[in-house]
Amino acid sequence: MAVTKDQVKHLGWLSRIELSDDELALYAGQIETIIKYLDKLDTVPLQEVKPVVASKKFSDLRDDVAVEFEADPLGTSYRKEGFVKGPRMV
Amino acid sequence: METKIGLEIHCQLTGAKSKLFCSCSCEYRGKEANSNICPTCAGLPGTLPLLSRRAVELAGMISAALGCTVPEEIAFYRKNYFYPDLPKNFQLTQYNAYGITSMGVDGIMQYGDGKSARIRRVQLEEDPGRLVYEGSMETSPYALIDYNRAGVPLVEIVTEPDFADPKDVRLFLDKVTSLIEHLGVCDTRLEGSVRCDANVSVGGGNRVEIKNVSSFADVEKALRYEITRQNSMASRDIEIKSETRHWDDARKLTKESRTKEEEQDYRYFPEPDVPSIVLGSEFPSLVSRSMPELPDKRKERFISKHGLSPHVAQVLIDNKELADFFETAMSAHYLPREIANWIVNDLMGFVDEQQKEERSILAGLKVTPGHIAELARLVDEGTINRSIAQQVLAQAVKTGEMPSQVVRKTHSSRIDDSDELGRVVDSVFKAEQSAVQDAKSNANAANFLLGKVMAATKGRADPKAALELIHKKLAEQS
Amino acid sequence: MELFRLDAMQVADGIKKREFSAEEYIQQLLERIDRVEPKVNAFITINRKEAIDKARSIDKKVRDGEPVGPLAGVAVSVKDNICVKGIRTTCASKMLENYVPPYSATVVIRLDDAGAIVIGKANLDEFAMGTTTEFSKHGATRNPWDISRVPGGSSGGSAASVASLECAVSLGSDTGGSVRCPASFCSVIGIKPTYGLVSRYGLVSYANSLEQIGPAGRTVADVTAVMNAIAGSDRNDHTTLDMKPDYSSRVPDRRFRIGIVKEFLSGADPEVAKVVYNAADILTKQGCKCEEVSLGSVEYALASYYTIAMAEASSNLARYDNVRYGFEMSSEGYEWNSYYAKVRSNFGEEVKRRIIVGSYVLSSGYYGKYYLKAQQVRSILKQELKSLFKTYDLLMGPTMPILPFKMGEKIDDPIKMYLVDIDTVVANLAGTPAISIPGGFSGGLPVGLQLMADEFQEQTMLDAASLFESVTHVQRSPDL
Repeated sequence: MAVTKDQVKHLGWLSRIELSDDELALYAGQIETIIKYLDKLDTVPLQEVKPVVASKKFSDLRDDVAVEFEADPLGTSYRKEGFVKGPRMV
Repeated sequence: METKIGLEIHCQLTGAKSKLFCSCSCEYRGKEANSNICPTCAGLPGTLPLLSRRAVELAGMISAALGCTVPEEIAFYRKNYFYPDLPKNFQLTQYNAYGITSMGVDGIMQYGDGKSARIRRVQLEEDPGRLVYEGSMETSPYALIDYNRAGVPLVEIVTEPDFADPKDVRLFLDKVTSLIEHLGVCDTRLEGSVRCDANVSVGGGNRVEIKNVSSFADVEKALRYEITRQNSMASRDIEIKSETRHWDDARKLTKESRTKEEEQDYRYFPEPDVPSIVLGSEFPSLVSRSMPELPDKRKERFISKHGLSPHVAQVLIDNKELADFFETAMSAHYLPREIANWIVNDLMGFVDEQQKEERSILAGLKVTPGHIAELARLVDEGTINRSIAQQVLAQAVKTGEMPSQVVRKTHSSRIDDSDELGRVVDSVFKAEQSAVQDAKSNANAANFLLGKVMAATKGRADPKAALELIHKKLAEQS
Repeated sequence: MELFRLDAMQVADGIKKREFSAEEYIQQLLERIDRVEPKVNAFITINRKEAIDKARSIDKKVRDGEPVGPLAGVAVSVKDNICVKGIRTTCASKMLENYVPPYSATVVIRLDDAGAIVIGKANLDEFAMGTTTEFSKHGATRNPWDISRVPGGSSGGSAASVASLECAVSLGSDTGGSVRCPASFCSVIGIKPTYGLVSRYGLVSYANSLEQIGPAGRTVADVTAVMNAIAGSDRNDHTTLDMKPDYSSRVPDRRFRIGIVKEFLSGADPEVAKVVYNAADILTKQGCKCEEVSLGSVEYALASYYTIAMAEASSNLARYDNVRYGFEMSSEGYEWNSYYAKVRSNFGEEVKRRIIVGSYVLSSGYYGKYYLKAQQVRSILKQELKSLFKTYDLLMGPTMPILPFKMGEKIDDPIKMYLVDIDTVVANLAGTPAISIPGGFSGGLPVGLQLMADEFQEQTMLDAASLFESVTHVQRSPDL
């Protein structure tokens, strides 16, 4: 299946990555090749195999104890009264 | 036209101490912005989610209480979407797919009088952070982000579209609220601890999602507005768009979302850092052991053991605070019907609607269960009569004084001293001489005299004793 | 004495016996680093001050007769995608160029407790995505055996720093071969432990379900000592298993049944294959039984690996939106979507490619076609390996199908680049352990030998490596 520049642009939007025209052209070709390679998975003979899942016992989960983290984990200097200043919404 | 309503109820597990995937506190309210975070809930690189056992247990309790099947194994999924309140730009949630289900599925809950709604699923997920704007979202030059709430455990209850009437939705939400209060999983009085989105369709048309409804009371209003809007569009043959609308709390209407809601593709996949959790066969018994008495059982007990009427019992259990108040009062003086009636018929009259909506019925009142118990005893023992008792209650609500204290201060206890009563009767006889003459032959005139005695004692006289005295005195004079 | 030439065990021993001080050793290493870095470029950050401070504190403990740990004074380089509290952790990316973690990875804390000294943060392909360490914001690392060639990747800085005698051992991360590939290209030892044996807390995730932190070193004894320090359950990582192993690096009496994986050799450069067959001969002479075996599902391994790795990566890297931490770029005047898109265009070319493919394979309608299938392939591979490990203690083959290649040779052709991971991804998909040991040289270029064992059979792997090491003398560091 051909991967178009528009498709790459949409995937870029889904991933919030701005792509230049040159990048769109480059990636469209490369991603098509990559996807074609991944299509190999279609030829896997077994259908009824359960996927591998690691598991953990309920009793081994974390205890419900509140602990305060002693430092400020945020690195940004764009702050206002403790709030982080993000871009505008609209 | 047939209306179909489905609900998505979010409730924070405030009954847990720590966040869903890290050890930060669930108590984020009132804290300085971004002071209740750690590398994990702030989404720092290299951190890993550590699932809280207690949160799973609480979610299990909710699932069981809603009649859901709790699976032997649960898993978490990543819901991938970008939003400034999401520290990782994905949300850890649950998803029913590929053979692994969420905390609960396929439940059913009775509510109102013989109604029921099906529960599609109960899932455990993390709450996002909080965005604050200067002015409105549309005009603010930046979003101010506080991650204190990010990671607080949230249970989402999704119903089938089993409601037709907004009033039923209200009854259902009241029941759910009472249930989670009784389970102790969520303090519904805390702002934003319960939230509800609804979806509505009329006449088999497109589904419209209503979001941003901040209180359960407004859900009913929003639904009424939305149903009217859709019906009027349908009657004019205008097609109803499948869309998400936001409830405008100030103007009390639903409006189209102003933010660009692009076609979402959440790209769900299983969270690799949280293995699938084997709850095991002992989990249901663990959950049921830690489950307190639920509202339906409690109502039944109030009726069968304490002789309350179904209506009074229902009002009490609709709000756990009220039911608890009743039980405490009853343990002081076992006068269940008397106490229940005082709470439901009288005390509730002092609670304003706002407080009822916020479910903090008793917060502003100065009366305790001890007050109501004492009031019931005073009436039961005949120390005061019912109308005096009402005045005593009004005073106690205002000042917090004990009813016995109020009675003592206002000399409002019943006059059962025959000397004192005799003096009152004497003075009434002196003042109403013609009525006394009349009474000798006319029984109604005796009642007139009794009325005068009661008025002179401000209702404190025992009417029976007073009437006896009046008749005795009339006999003496003839 | 040239202290920088010493192996980790010699260093710890010498410091404890007060033959030299930790400070002298670290000073010599820092000089060595200054000398060879212009050629090799193995480090992104060098922790001069912190390293000397720690060395002095160890020397003081030694003088005071206090315990100093099994890795006392040993200089370790740490791949720059593993967090060290207070020290910049960049992942070789513009996106994290100013990022200073407020906490340390579990492995770093454990190494510190064992007395090791973090000498610097090693170069890598951006976010560990690559096979050559060319995709680094900090510039490419070069192969110390031939600086016109790639050192392998993505832990290229780790392996190159060990081979260049800039440190004794290193911590890398292995998602699809990222420790073993550069170990092979640089003629050092590299381990990918069983999934769940080593904590990933503090490792910046690329593909969580595949990766493990693993050591690189010049001797089996050295990597064994590092494994003993870092392995074992961690309550900060739900995917670790409840165990605390204690490995030995003694040459075993035991002899092994070894399956030579024919699919690994059929696609290999004949020069590489020759070294593997030669190694099989050596082991046979030692009493091991080597025979050819087939691992049929290898055919699907790469497609499965890249599907899962890119899918997980696309989600893991979503958090880099420059709002909470990142690089200097004000969001003023931007609507949030356009700010995110602008900021995130600063990922490198390979990272962007993988995020986009990852988004593709997870997008609605494709999950069953790619991600689910890829997970099924993991199950099939696991089953196939399980049955082989009933007959064989170990599976063997080349670590890399080709010799270290020229820089820039494959950088423009992603598929060509991906194909060289064919032999290493199997262990990541199956969650089983694997080791790359120096197998010999071809035309002056190193060839790594890969040994794979069943889950948690690290000891078997180390035993065979010790045996091979004891009867061969493959050079571990070039003249620089």
